Amino acid sequence: LCTMNKDAQMRATINQKLIETGERERLKDLLRAKLIECGWKDQLKAHCKDVIKEKGLEHVTVDDLVAEITPKGRALVPDSVKKELLQRIRTFLAQHANL
Amino acid sequence: VYLSLFQAKSCICHMCGAHLNRLHSCLYCVFFGCFTKKHIHEHAKTKRHNLAIDLLYGGIYCFMCQDYIYDKDMEQIAKEEQRKAWKLQAFTPTVVSHYQCTMTGIGEKYSTWEPTKRELELLRHNPKRRKITTNCTIGLRGLINLGNTCFMNCIVQALTHTPLLRDFFLSDRHKCEMQSPSSCLVCEMSTLFQEFYSGHRSPHIPYRLLHLVWTHARHLAGYEQQDAHEFLIAALDVLHRHCKGDDNGKKANNPNHCNCIIDQIFTGGLQSDVTCQVCHGVSTTIDPFWDISLDLPGSSTPFWPLSPGSDGSVVNGESHVSGTTTLTDCLRRFTRPEHLGSSAKIKCSGCHSYQESTKQLTMKKLPIVACFHLKRFEHSAKLRRKITTYVSFPLELDMTPFMASSKESRMNGQYQQPTDSLNNDNKYSLFAVVNHQGTLESGHYTSFIRQHKDQWFKCDDAIITKASIKDVLDSEG
Repeated sequence: LCTMNKDAQMRATINQKLIETGERERLKDLLRAKLIECGWKDQLKAHCKDVIKEKGLEHVTVDDLVAEITPKGRALVPDSVKKELLQRIRTFLAQHANL
Repeated sequence: VYLSLFQAKSCICHMCGAHLNRLHSCLYCVFFGCFTKKHIHEHAKTKRHNLAIDLLYGGIYCFMCQDYIYDKDMEQIAKEEQRKAWKLQAFTPTVVSHYQCTMTGIGEKYSTWEPTKRELELLRHNPKRRKITTNCTIGLRGLINLGNTCFMNCIVQALTHTPLLRDFFLSDRHKCEMQSPSSCLVCEMSTLFQEFYSGHRSPHIPYRLLHLVWTHARHLAGYEQQDAHEFLIAALDVLHRHCKGDDNGKKANNPNHCNCIIDQIFTGGLQSDVTCQVCHGVSTTIDPFWDISLDLPGSSTPFWPLSPGSDGSVVNGESHVSGTTTLTDCLRRFTRPEHLGSSAKIKCSGCHSYQESTKQLTMKKLPIVACFHLKRFEHSAKLRRKITTYVSFPLELDMTPFMASSKESRMNGQYQQPTDSLNNDNKYSLFAVVNHQGTLESGHYTSFIRQHKDQWFKCDDAIITKASIKDVLDSEG
């Protein structure tokens, strides 16, 4: 029974292509490097420390931290980084137009 | 477990087949499960296997505590396995990224620093700590003029504020290879950095440095005023040789295989293309360089036009305003195609005869620190004089238009790729300017150096004063 709609199916196909060609890994590496370069990683690290100080080291689990910092993490990604990755993905899709 | 990271791509969740959702491996049996979808949690509950390891970062999760736990013994084992795995993986860049390595070319994996017992002891015995605030002046120190040594002082100021060089020396990375360490210029540089960053505010007297320079670069000895640019090149040369323990230039100097800190930071590759005007065959050579020496307008060789039929195109956001020569103008002139006249025919391997040709220089490989030398001192057969034409230079410089790769793209008819403007690889930030006041016979060198991000200081031998960005950009250069 196929319960996926067309969008989700497209996403899955693209994702598979990204993984197969190794592009997903490359994009991840690029994103990692960009986020360190622009100071995002340091900002979030500082935020983590604040959360731990506030809640106390004994009372915070990794999952708590993840839940706490994810929204801020998402918001702090600079537009230029988003643009660049989008550009990369677009280029990739253009090259694999037979999707 | 760490070797299994090699095959991490073939590890998939036993329940849903995914391998991307924070896959964990059970520590009691062979089971892989997603963390995000709670598959590993289910396994832990049903089998009462309460420990699992995160396959991406190696953290150990305890289902009883419902959190990652940190056991000293496990951390030790993890560190050791990581180190071994890194050595094996060093040739597969995609997997290496999991360990957040920085490709410094020195071949060491980045790991966070943990003090050894001895270091802890040292730290306890020396409780004084120095905190770097935005307005602290650490690293700034005047230099006494030992008799027309301002040419040396300026270059020393520039070198001690070169971030990569500073980091290299302050983290004690120099291991002396010289037969007699007392004659090693690199060791002396190391001492110099210690002096500069010691926090002392009195000017430093660089007599040992001067003596070593005189010993190893005889042509600079004596109390006459010397050329700062010549000193820079001589200093880099001696430092480069001493990094390999080459005391008197006897060892074969093969710049292509040297990996010393000087080469890593300062060496670039200059590509020279000679095109035969008859068969259009191109002969290419690449030479290493430490500096880019630029001719100026007003010298005996004509400056304008930059190239046959050139227009005032916009480069680096500066259009050529008639009257002000820019650094970019000088660079464009440096990389222009040049007709080698009929008296300088080159033997063409395509035509097998001497033909007229054009020669063009472009940047093949950019150094991390680029030194631009404006040739203000003219020593021609007729006269020796100083060209004082003001040349404006920017705080940020994009070298992309002068790259060999850009030239190839232009020749193939491709316009500049739009992603190049997002690519920061060819962009430079200004951090030091050396100026000469006066004439060829009697003059004085001073320098401007950038300490923190936007704080500039003027160094006039022993006197250091705060300077504005405008002061820097208005200076002659």
